[in-house]
Amino acid sequence: MDRHFDEELQNVKKKIVDMAALVEESITKSLDALKNKDLKKADEIRDLDHRIDKFEIMIEDMCIELIARHQPVGRDLRFLIGTIKMNNDLERMGDHSVNIVDCIEYVIKSPPIEQVTNIWSMAKIVKEMLRDSVQSFIDNDAANAQKVCERDSVVDAMRNETIRILLTHMLEEPKKIESAIQYLLVAKNLERIADLSTNICEDVVYIAQARVIKHHAENEKA
Amino acid sequence: MIVRTANLSLYYHKFQALKNVNVGIKRNLITGIIGPSGCGKSTLLRVFNRMNELIEGARITGSVLIDEEDIYSPTHDLILLRKRVGMVFQRPNAFPLSIFDNIAYGPRVWNISDRKTLQEIVERSLHAVDLFDDLKDRLNDSALLLSAEKQQRLCIARLLAVEPEILLMDEPCSALDPIATGKIEELMIELKKKYTIVIVTHNMQQAARIADDVGFMLLGELVEFDTAKKVFTDPRDKRTFDYISGRFG
Repeated sequence: MDRHFDEELQNVKKKIVDMAALVEESITKSLDALKNKDLKKADEIRDLDHRIDKFEIMIEDMCIELIARHQPVGRDLRFLIGTIKMNNDLERMGDHSVNIVDCIEYVIKSPPIEQVTNIWSMAKIVKEMLRDSVQSFIDNDAANAQKVCERDSVVDAMRNETIRILLTHMLEEPKKIESAIQYLLVAKNLERIADLSTNICEDVVYIAQARVIKHHAENEKA
Repeated sequence: MIVRTANLSLYYHKFQALKNVNVGIKRNLITGIIGPSGCGKSTLLRVFNRMNELIEGARITGSVLIDEEDIYSPTHDLILLRKRVGMVFQRPNAFPLSIFDNIAYGPRVWNISDRKTLQEIVERSLHAVDLFDDLKDRLNDSALLLSAEKQQRLCIARLLAVEPEILLMDEPCSALDPIATGKIEELMIELKKKYTIVIVTHNMQQAARIADDVGFMLLGELVEFDTAKKVFTDPRDKRTFDYISGRFG
């Protein structure tokens, strides 16, 4: 019946998918820059973050207006509330991407450390989690979203393994502590991006099925 | 700005129904006028095509300009004004004529009698309100046999037949159920591409859904006028907030 409102909801969806593409681009570029120790890319990442911030403000504004003017209920309400949360999560990912690129400066200054291969494996999974979480949002696919959530524990385990390896480096060669700390920060930022992708997937389940799966809420209810 | 009032006041004998209203209606937008019963919103609407002149004792001060021309000037052509500024009422008021003759009524008043031209106008007007496919095989049936929603659509088509610029709608959905209301709202959003629409509604949600600009009236005063987004997310006046949040009205 409400074709015009549906069009506006679709427009919000399109905007957030565009924003997610920028976030993915930012994370990919910041990791590439870190891998190649390419400081010149930092400005590009900051510029992307600026665009992501603008998207966040615009999408939040659109959602508030639609809630105020259409008093949505049911799935439409869940979609707008879920989108506001997802919007916030994506913006935070943009910040984590900048945090990663900020590490490059210190990595370059410090004595080199052997490449921490775990970080790159972790980065691969984190990027896949982001892409799949956004895809589950696009497809309104709760089953796929839940599968993405399950991967969060894999990333957590990889982060712990990375910390263990880096600690070993630090103990063996204290002059590498500075570099090692930077890679620790990268691992931490990647782990947070995975957490935020998990949040997005929890929101997708809420939007699609009105189920709250965060904090194991369903198990506690049972 | 297609319509503008300057210090407009309107009196019914000694009762002041509009108090110093300054409003600007923008072209190709939907402007919603909201407010509690008796606040003057229908009175304001009727000022725009001089319908209030039909009420004994009504008089105005200030001015009402359409395309910067004072429509209350003695030299202004009233018949032409009513053609440019059409009105849709609360209840569908189809004439007890055929569907075809309802729509052809206005053009005939304007001396269009050629059957082919009239047919084109009827077809175009029915298309504009998305009724043509439904009614094309029964144009000679009585308009009164149609559902309330279709009669209201027909009334809008009847307006469009004389090619107006501004459509005034006074509670156009108040006699319709929610599904029919939704369809008329969609139609209004479609029509604003070509026309300027001013709608009076006591249904605040309707104004929130479809209006681009919104004016809130209270006791004859235009308390606030702004974009719908501004009025419904951050109203300037406490009285507006109290009304839209259901604290009074």
